[in-house]
Order: sequence, then C-alpha cells, then structure tokens
Amino acid sequence: MTIIPARDIEALVRTFDVSDWDEMRVVVDGLELYLSKNPADRARLASAPNSAVSSATATDKPPSPSAKSTSKPAAIDVPEGMVVVRAPNLGTFYRAPKPGAPPYVSIGQKVEPETELCLIEVMKLFTSVTSGVGGTVQKILAEDSQLVEFDQPLFLIDPRS
Amino acid sequence: MPLRRILVANRGEIALRIVRAARSLGMETVLAASVADRDSVAAREADRVVVIGPAAARASYLDARLMVHAAKATGCDGLHPGYGFLSERSSLAALCEQEGIAFVGPSATSIEAVGDKLAARRLAKAAGVMMTPGSAKLESAEDAVAFADAIGYPVVTKASAGGGGRGMVVARDTRSLRDGFARASIEAKEAFGDGTLFVERYVERARHVEVQVVGDGAGRVLHFGERDCSMQRRYQKMVEEAPAVALPVATRARLHKAAVDLLAAINYRNAGTVEFLYDVDRDEFYFMEVNARIQVEHPVSEMITGVDLVQLQLRVAGGEASSFRQSDIAVDGHAIEARILAEDPDRNFAPSPGRITQWLAPRGEGVRIDTAMEVGASVPPFYDSMIAKLIVHAADRPGAVARLRDALEQFQISGLATNLRLLRAIVGHRDFIEGRFDTRWLETVLLPSFVERRDS
Repeated sequence: MTIIPARDIEALVRTFDVSDWDEMRVVVDGLELYLSKNPADRARLASAPNSAVSSATATDKPPSPSAKSTSKPAAIDVPEGMVVVRAPNLGTFYRAPKPGAPPYVSIGQKVEPETELCLIEVMKLFTSVTSGVGGTVQKILAEDSQLVEFDQPLFLIDPRS
Repeated sequence: MPLRRILVANRGEIALRIVRAARSLGMETVLAASVADRDSVAAREADRVVVIGPAAARASYLDARLMVHAAKATGCDGLHPGYGFLSERSSLAALCEQEGIAFVGPSATSIEAVGDKLAARRLAKAAGVMMTPGSAKLESAEDAVAFADAIGYPVVTKASAGGGGRGMVVARDTRSLRDGFARASIEAKEAFGDGTLFVERYVERARHVEVQVVGDGAGRVLHFGERDCSMQRRYQKMVEEAPAVALPVATRARLHKAAVDLLAAINYRNAGTVEFLYDVDRDEFYFMEVNARIQVEHPVSEMITGVDLVQLQLRVAGGEASSFRQSDIAVDGHAIEARILAEDPDRNFAPSPGRITQWLAPRGEGVRIDTAMEVGASVPPFYDSMIAKLIVHAADRPGAVARLRDALEQFQISGLATNLRLLRAIVGHRDFIEGRFDTRWLETVLLPSFVERRDS
C-alpha cells in the first residue's frame, strides 16, 4: 500500500473546504477519504467504523477544516455503532431552553434527527444543536452551563434503538 | 492591577512568544487554537488550550465573539491579539472594553482613528507630519506641469479612480509630463472608466522606515528607535533591521519626533508602529500609515534597546504606570531579522505546507530564533507561511551582517521548501552588505538574477 503524504490529504481537504461541493470521495490504494459538509453524515460515518474516516485519520491526522464530517475520535470511547453529537462551535452548553426549565432531552429518551438536544451560547447568541440522527440518548458528555470547545463530544446516541 | 490570565488570540510563533512573555511576568495563559493548532508548541506551553473552531480562520481566529466568549469563560482578564487576524479590528477591542477584558493594544477609538487611510492622513497633517506632496484632481496637462514645476521633478501621475499601476507614468521633465499625461489619462479611462488624474512626487530611491512606539494611553508616547524594512517583495517584508543606518542621525531624530507627535495627539495606548517612506535623494520622509499592533519585526527593536516589547505590552495593558522615560531607552549595536517562509522561490513563491523532518537552527552569541516549529511539527496550509524569524545582534552593521550570513549557512530545514537559499543570496550580495538597496531592489535587481542562476 502506498503511503499518502499528509500534505496531499491536507491539500484535498483544503480544496474541498473552499469548494461548493457537498461531498467528496477519494480512493487510492488502501486509503479511502470521504468528506462531507452535511452534518447528517456523521451518523452514517460513525455507524460504519471500518470505512472511510477511520482509515483517513489513521494516516497522519490531517487538520480538518470541516471537522463536522471528518472529526477524529476525541478522548472518548465510542462504542461500536454509536453516534457522537459534537459542538458545532465553542460556547456555553445549556441543556435547557432557560434556567429552571426541564432539559431538552434526558438519558434513555428517543430522538428524531430534528430533535433539539441543547443550546450553545456565544456572547448571548444562542444556537440550538439537533441530533442529526434518530435513536436513543445513551450519554450526556458535557456539563450544563459549562464551556464546551469546538468539536467537543456532547451526546452519545444509539441509532439502533 | 497587573493582569493575571491572558487569552492568546493567535497562533504560530507570536502565540508562543506571548505565552512565554506572560509566563515570565507570572501571568497564566489560555491559548485559543483552531483544530489545526491544538497540538502546536504554543498549545503545549500554555496553561490551558481551548479549541475555538475549525482550521479555517474565518470560523476560528477571525471570530471576535468566540475569542471574547472563550476569554470570559476561562476567567481571563486580558486578551492579546498578536498580529494579523483580529489584531486591528476595532470590533474586538470594543467587545473587550464592553466585557471588562483588558485588550492588549490600543483603544477601539484609536484603532479606528489610524485604521482608516484618510483619517490617518488628517491626523498626520494635524500633527505636522509630512506626506508625499501631491496635487488635487487635475483638469489638464498644463495644470500638471504647473504643479510639477512648483514641487520639482520627478513626479508620477496617478489615476483618481483606482490603483494597480494603471494611469501611472513617471515624468522627469516638463516635456515627458506633457506627453505622458495624455497617455496616462487614456489608460486610466480604459481601466476605470474615468480618466481623471492627479500628480504626486515620485520617490526614485525609497526606503521603508518605521518607528516603534509604546503609549501609556494618557498622552505619553515613547519610541524605541526606528527600523529599515526596505527588503521587500510585493510589499511583503523579508529582511528588517535596526537602526536605519541609511538615514542621517538628524533625520532619524526628526522621524522619531514625527511618530511620537502623531500618536501622542490621540493618547495612543500600547504598541504601535508609524511607517514612512524615506526619499534617499532628498533626505526627506513621508508618512504612510500606522500599524496599531505589535509587528512581526519587533524583535530587532528589542535587540538594540534591550526591552521586551511584548512584556511591556502586557504591563501597559494591566495599567501599570510605566517606569520608563525616553532617556532610559538607549540604542546599542545593530540587529537584523530574516523571515523564514515555507515558500518555494523556485516555484514563484508557492506556499509549501508540510511536516518538518529536519530542523537544525543556528545557535550562538547574538543569535535569536522566534519560532513555533520543531521536528515533527506541521505547517498547515490554512495560514501565513512564515515559520521562523532569525534575528541577529552585533556591535555594528557589518558584524550583524556577518553573523546573519553564518547563521543562515547553519540553518537546515527539511520536509518542505523554504526561502533559505534566497535569504543567503540576499545577505551575500554586495549591495546588501554595503547597505545600498531600496524598496524595489529585491524585485528588480536580485530576483531576476536569482532565477536566472537557477535556470542556467
């Protein structure tokens, strides 16, 4: 198998990032690189751990401008088949729409792809984060009212249940 | 109150430089890094790293709201913007002011006052600082001749509606101005749909000189001498030095005063640089612009004054009353900085990102390297291509040139293309050694022969 230099992958990622393409698939020898700007693809990718992303990240960790789709596994163990919902940007993590209100979701709750899971606040601007996949909330990985970083795992969703 | 914890809103060597300067003052640092920089040397040395956004700068290093949110959420009381990115955005300074975070730089008002070209020219004029003599819009060639006769030749015509060299004709006497005026006007008309011209004094041999200042925000502005940054390619500085030995000592003193007067008038706070064009033949300088931030080339001023400017920035931002007086700042010796870029001069300076496989940096007396690179570090393709600054200091210019030449010989970088070979060619050239170059020298004298040598 040919070793693909990290710079080539970086160049591909950059090309993709500035393009108006929605997705890109490159297959060279043993390497398959799949890039997508569609957040829903997280589900598909995470549920197919032996495919594209794992082999791409296994090479030389290219910086990923669209980490929504190419995010490398962070410091958490993702059980096979589970989907991680990550922070789309840095900000403060809120589980409920306002103080005192019940949280958007709890562990064991069934969610649809459009279900709102939490809010991320940046300088008083609130953005809601949706599941992107249907399934059951298995774990909540961030603490309420705390700073979360870009790409930080927030929820673990089991899409099979 | 001295600052306790600083958010570093930048990357690369300047982020590392700020982290270390803060640490030596007993301050903590939080590095706001993009995904591409989460494993950088600055990330390793900072007390904490927050991943602010994706590699693309517009969603990370260029987002003022994310930066200020990160600063607040991590308990920072100061924010250092470095250079480039958000450093001269008045919106970031304003947001910091609003949220009670000390911005390590000028006030938002000052940034606006010097950031707008026309506003800056008004400031300069009010402070009695000379600008390139130029006419108003001209009706005819005869008006141009009348103006040129008054200010002297050579002059250059410029299109009122745009730049980029269109409508520019250099005239050295009345006849060539008469002939050239019509030609320039037609060219301007074709390029911009408007043939209106004005005329400016043409500087035949220009040097880029600039004065480093630090203000306390209360009207006191100190200068740290001047720099000569004439070695440029496409307005990008490549080699900078201090002091500017091409200027007579009396001219340097006038230059310092002009810079100080200009910024004292607006109670400028923190570090800034006033840039001038120096006309070698006339021994006159003209105001160009103010850079309201710490600059890439600040180390040469540090080397000759012995003052750590980034530490001083942090102290000024903390409101510390400066113990410095102008008379305390003495210039000692000569310093030169060469910018090492991950660019390939043999391929028209194409950026050359990649991973460093060998990094042998020179060491020794009077040699300083400002970098965030090491073996195994990667140069991501998303940002500026500068990977290191090699700075030398010696008792005089010949000594500094010799030291720079030796240091460049020793420097070995593998894994990506760099401009090291070009820097060696510059420093080994007789014109550089003798200090006989201007802002056009690199592009018109050295580069053509440099490229030819490779092709032959």
